[in-house]
Amino acid sequence: AFCLFSDKDIIYMCHFNGAVKGKVLITNYRLYFKSSDADVTVMLDVPLGAISRVEKMGGASSRGENSYGLDITCKDMRNLKFALKQEGHSRRDIFELLFRHAFPLSHGLPLFAYVTQEKYAENGWNIYKPVEEFRRQGLPNNKWRITFINKSYDLCDTYPTVLAVPFKSKEEDLRRVAAFRSRARIPATGGGYEGDEYQNAELVFLDIQNIHVMRESLKKLKDIVYPNVEESHWLSSLESTHWLEHVKLVLSGAIQVADKVSSGNSVVVHCSDGWDRTAQLTSLAMLMLDSHYRTLRGFQVLIEKEWISFGHKFASRIGHGDKNHADQDRSPIFVQFIDCVWQMTKQFPTAFEFNEHLLLTILDHLYSCRFGTFLYNCESAREQHVRSKTVSLWSLVNSKMDIYLNPFYTPESGRVLYPVASMRHLELWVTYYIRWNPRIRQQQQSPVEQRYKELLALRDEYLKKLEQLQLSDSSTSSRLANSPTANTSSTTSTPTQQYTHLQTPF
Amino acid sequence: MFLSRWEAEKRLQNFFFICLSPGEIVVNEVNFVRKCISAESNQDDPWGKLICTNFKVSFIPQEAPPKQKSQLSHLLLGEHDIPLTCLEQVVTVNDTKGKKKVLGSNQKLKFNPTELILYCKDLRIIRFCFDEAGPESARKVCLAIAHYSHPADLQLLFGFEYQGRRYHECKVNGSTPRGGMQTPIFDRPSDWDREIKRTSASEWRVCSINESYAISPSLPEYIVVPVSLADQDLKQYSLYFTDRRIPLWCWNHPNGSALVRMACIVDPLHQRKIDQRIFTAITKSHTQRSEVIRSDLDKCLPNIQDIQSAFVKVRQICVLDPFEESEERWLSSIDNSRWLEYVRAFLKHSAEIVYYLEGKNVSVILQEEEDRDLNCVVSSLVQLMLDPHYRSLIGFQSLVQKEWVMAGHRFLDRCNHLKKNYKEESPLFMLFLDCVWQMMNQYPAAFEFTEAYLTVLSDSMWIPLFSTFLFSSPKQRAQHLMDFAKNKAIPQGEDQVVYFPPVWEWSQQFSIKDQTLFNNPMYVGKGAACVQNGEVKTFRRTKKTYSSTLRGTATLMRNGLKEGEDTLTRRGSLVSELKSEFSAVKDESPSERFFRDWFSRPADQQGLLIPLSMPSHVALWKLFFLRWVPEACIPRGGPITAYHKLSQLVDEIEILQSQLRQYKGPSPGNTPLPSPSGPPSDQRRMYFKASYPDDPATTPDFFTSSFPFTPVGNLCRRSVYGTPISKFLNGARIWLSTETLANDTV
Repeated sequence: AFCLFSDKDIIYMCHFNGAVKGKVLITNYRLYFKSSDADVTVMLDVPLGAISRVEKMGGASSRGENSYGLDITCKDMRNLKFALKQEGHSRRDIFELLFRHAFPLSHGLPLFAYVTQEKYAENGWNIYKPVEEFRRQGLPNNKWRITFINKSYDLCDTYPTVLAVPFKSKEEDLRRVAAFRSRARIPATGGGYEGDEYQNAELVFLDIQNIHVMRESLKKLKDIVYPNVEESHWLSSLESTHWLEHVKLVLSGAIQVADKVSSGNSVVVHCSDGWDRTAQLTSLAMLMLDSHYRTLRGFQVLIEKEWISFGHKFASRIGHGDKNHADQDRSPIFVQFIDCVWQMTKQFPTAFEFNEHLLLTILDHLYSCRFGTFLYNCESAREQHVRSKTVSLWSLVNSKMDIYLNPFYTPESGRVLYPVASMRHLELWVTYYIRWNPRIRQQQQSPVEQRYKELLALRDEYLKKLEQLQLSDSSTSSRLANSPTANTSSTTSTPTQQYTHLQTPF
Repeated sequence: MFLSRWEAEKRLQNFFFICLSPGEIVVNEVNFVRKCISAESNQDDPWGKLICTNFKVSFIPQEAPPKQKSQLSHLLLGEHDIPLTCLEQVVTVNDTKGKKKVLGSNQKLKFNPTELILYCKDLRIIRFCFDEAGPESARKVCLAIAHYSHPADLQLLFGFEYQGRRYHECKVNGSTPRGGMQTPIFDRPSDWDREIKRTSASEWRVCSINESYAISPSLPEYIVVPVSLADQDLKQYSLYFTDRRIPLWCWNHPNGSALVRMACIVDPLHQRKIDQRIFTAITKSHTQRSEVIRSDLDKCLPNIQDIQSAFVKVRQICVLDPFEESEERWLSSIDNSRWLEYVRAFLKHSAEIVYYLEGKNVSVILQEEEDRDLNCVVSSLVQLMLDPHYRSLIGFQSLVQKEWVMAGHRFLDRCNHLKKNYKEESPLFMLFLDCVWQMMNQYPAAFEFTEAYLTVLSDSMWIPLFSTFLFSSPKQRAQHLMDFAKNKAIPQGEDQVVYFPPVWEWSQQFSIKDQTLFNNPMYVGKGAACVQNGEVKTFRRTKKTYSSTLRGTATLMRNGLKEGEDTLTRRGSLVSELKSEFSAVKDESPSERFFRDWFSRPADQQGLLIPLSMPSHVALWKLFFLRWVPEACIPRGGPITAYHKLSQLVDEIEILQSQLRQYKGPSPGNTPLPSPSGPPSDQRRMYFKASYPDDPATTPDFFTSSFPFTPVGNLCRRSVYGTPISKFLNGARIWLSTETLANDTV
């Protein structure tokens, strides 16, 4: 990242602290603000990718104090206002810089993911290998086969190149079916397969609303949590956003899918295009059914497979680098999915290998444009540039895995996880939606997780001490050949000794 | 037919086994009763005998169900038992005739009930069907249950029978005074003295003018007052206060400011004069002679009727309304009940008081008309926030003892144990427990006890065996217990705590093993250990470090720090920062500034704790409100799954600790060397024991979000699709009509 604009005096019109004087620094990746006032410490660090809209407020004739400046709307649930002096051209300069670099695609500039030269120990692009993943699931078998029919995206340009399709289906049939489906999206695994006709099929409508309703719902949610949490009738206001109700419907839809699959039925999941609702439902159902997807790497595979590879239109839904903030194609479908995952982790605190920090990181980089992972609308568009020229988000994650691990994780392969999709249990994810509120203590980790880690460290410390004592002891006892101590290291089944054997980390 | 039933009954007696407590007698019983456990089908419903005793309603299933593993089991109450005091309403139904009746005491029932529905104070709803039972016996049992759950007199509560027997039985085995109970009762000067010393309240003294309740019937015999006030003055002032309740000292901040509670002054003519004298005395007792502020709780908090009606509503939404129908409007319904709003109001107001004591260094007087309701909630919350001692188990129990029981909270009236005056009923203690839960939810490592403990404590209100929740004032307790001792031939001079123990003697109710469910494995407190910078430290609360708080919040003892390191992490003194009262933040009050400052720093579990009272951070206490709701139960999920792992880990740590302690080092000669045993199993603090390496790491099947409780058979609403009368049986009306029904029976 290079610095475009630095150390200019600016006033941050904080919703909580009022006018805060400070310095601003703008690079091609982020906007950074630090208060210069010793009394109030305010720091802002906003990736330009998170900006959806930049507007000028006030004109040359504006009178009121601090009424002349910039108004920035972000995709990550916050708004920022800056006031500037009318003299000079500082506002014009900042505005133009922000406008160009927050919306590079609208200005013929590359996204930051193509500019950055980050290096990581692991290459996250290797996390998902379709054939390997099919093999893990026991495919191909006598019912399903792997096809490369879409190798050059000529069957369906929004589908991946490698597909698993029913064993009996012929390549020409697939081509025929493709012609009938919206944008040639034939049924494939992940979702399942539907026959030539819906024979013996049970049709279930899940009543989940469209992308526009979701967008409006999240907008309403923002209204009641930012900048201040609605004080009176909070729960009624929350209800009127319908956000949790939508989360509930998605979750309960996924539960129905998972339930059908686990009782031996195949399920076809589809919505009009098969890239919004379908991705949510299949990936959530898979998370419930297959414990592999609840591991840190498995979850990455799930996102790569069901979202990225199967063509969720990230570019359109998020609008990376695009100035058109009012674009009707934008919608928080992926955010809603991550919210559903978070709800599941709340209900099953030991079932997921990853923690909340991973989910927050994913959502931050959904917008940041620092990684290639969520760029573009489908695999065919992505293939040409992304893998070779950008870094994968999973490179960052997998190079520093420990901060994303849930210490409570208890692997239980084969366990099907059914969350309770009831308003009784669904909660607003405050650590995401209300995280900008300075009245809340900023915590890197959940206090429960933190405490567990402390205790784990303590256990290891004691084990080490005990081992050292026993070591020095056995050296003494070997000299005293007849001492009964020599027996202590023999294998009796007292619990303590077993611990020492098992859990010592060296 | 008659014979065969008799025969069947005889055969069944081999299966039926009722556990009777000492002094408990069977009043009435009926056989071939079906307990409804599911609204949809009755396939799995157990059959058995329904029994009414002078203590409880008991159901003895014909076939003993497989024992629920690892579930809290009460020593005196079986899985299907309900203490009579726990009954809120007894409803009989005749399905075929389409009739129902809410039964009170001494009532007639003109139809033979086909069904009995018991609405319980602990939010259970239990339903029995009499389709195969003898109609007359069924009717008699229903009437008996209704009658015995409406005792005419306090002395008729089962505790008065039970504790008498128990005392004499224990006496034979030789009991020790006060047992092993460590919780101070505050019924003698030494308990108060210790509290004065602990908080360094040197300008306060124990006063005994209320000995034998000579001044006020609702004050304890020993109270703490400013040193500057003589007994004679206090006697004189007492005349002007409601119920003659002179100001009571609650707690002292290490900075010298005091928390005091008092009733209102009845006589407006003398108000100014008395106020002034009291204020002057409290100011004199402040080490820095700081001023005193007063907070009139009646003016800024909901009253007891508001609280009662909010609780009735939230209960209705949680357990009575049909599950699916209430999903859609769930959030707004909870909102409209106002329960969480009130919880928030109390937390917020208490935090405000904390600001004055801690941030402004001034003494605070909590004032309320009678000083027996809202003051109890606020004074105990303030102390929980300020003093980590009260977040330990013993400390918490002593807090309840001091600010509720001894301060004269009207438990008898507020619980409405005699079901006589519904206007006086109000769940203030429940509200307090909910507030504590909110703090616990936000600071999970700060409390020595668990939410299961809080829930069990709330349930204990409805078991009439403990002196804690039975009386409305210390004097009332003293009198009743004196009469009781006389009646039961208990020698004069015997300690009341011994012959009629408080709830704090948990071994009355639970095994040692089950009591470990009260222990929070995350607790960061004295005795608990922590790791900082890779070094293991043990917490110590020394007097020295505690008194350093004189300099303000920031210097409250920091955990796990090496001595000497202390100064490095010490933040600037808050008190001096506040002096200027300047805030760069727009529209921010000094207290908001104080809170914002506090929240911008990491919380010290053993220091000041302020709960977030934003509506988004105050949640419904699911374990308490939803534990019986089968649809809301998460199988093999919920917080218990994390608690399980924490508990196992801490158990392992404690085994290691004990090994390290016992390790004598390599000793020459024949001394037997390290004993590889952990602490004896009855001394292990954790409910779940460390697992063996070969144990499969899975989530036990019996874990649910309701753990350690089970919804099975404890909440049986009538099916919406059931009989035609299910419509008019809508629980809403039944429960809401409590008051009118009560009036009807009078």
